Amino acid sequence: MAVRRIEVRERVMARNDEIAATVRDRLAAAGVASLNLMSSPGAGKTLLLERTLQALGRELAIAIATGDVQTENDAVRLARHTDRLVHAVVTNGACHLDALQVTSALDQLDLPATDLVILENVGNLVCPASWDLGEQQRVVLFTTTEGEDKPVKYPKAFQRADLVIMTKVDLLPYLPFDADVAERHVREVNPTVPILRTSATSGEGLDAWYDWLRARVAGARRLVPQPTGT
Amino acid sequence: MHEFSVALEICRIAEAQAAPRPASAIVSVGVEIGEGTDLVVENLNFCLETLLASPPFERAALAVERVPGNDLRVAWLEVDDGR
Repeated sequence: MAVRRIEVRERVMARNDEIAATVRDRLAAAGVASLNLMSSPGAGKTLLLERTLQALGRELAIAIATGDVQTENDAVRLARHTDRLVHAVVTNGACHLDALQVTSALDQLDLPATDLVILENVGNLVCPASWDLGEQQRVVLFTTTEGEDKPVKYPKAFQRADLVIMTKVDLLPYLPFDADVAERHVREVNPTVPILRTSATSGEGLDAWYDWLRARVAGARRLVPQPTGT
Repeated sequence: MHEFSVALEICRIAEAQAAPRPASAIVSVGVEIGEGTDLVVENLNFCLETLLASPPFERAALAVERVPGNDLRVAWLEVDDGR
């Protein structure tokens, strides 16, 4: 037999990154803001989005894609609060969303009529951080019922976050969790990221989150390339 | 935790690069794993060795090299041209 060597040198993530770049271009051209929402399971991603749809659902056209390993439960929960598209991605075992799944979700959207696309990732602080989905902003939730040192244990998710949201702060009186220590750990891996302290139960801090979302939507609209007037 | 999806993508690249030869012609696959990737190498090796011994592959061996940097690449293939 004649064995021939073929030089390949192909990056394994190249295909996902190319698809993510296409997603980013499509969203930018349509002036749509987009978020990749990441956290460990049970940090309150879906509840935060339920509150967000209740508060901003009339003001902004929000579309959501939810990723879960099994069940469409989160999408069903969210669909109760909006007539707009909630797309369930069941990953069948995969621990993260990828850019191709986001492309399928975008194909079902009327992008020019959409203000904001939220990608609720699979609950997992490890793997989702490695997959670019083509989002403009990465938001990481960090809850008071976790250890204060989660940011240093799972640095990749926090390093590239554009916003960190501490959730369930209404429980602080009952927990040994020190919110200031937790924020210092966030700063160790991401010195400049804004941190919001929120409770979806009491409503604390949610107005700041809504304002942050409004600013992202306004920013995405401003950046739409204007057609040259000929 | 996502080693299996990475392994599937490595197999997809190997199959595409070997074309038009069938995947069964691949004798070995060289993979470079950057020290900065947060992959569990033993786990990735296990997934790859299993996949490379299953259809459409038949007998592809795995050669892993750790390299500096954050990239994960399919570096080279060896294929049997049958002559």
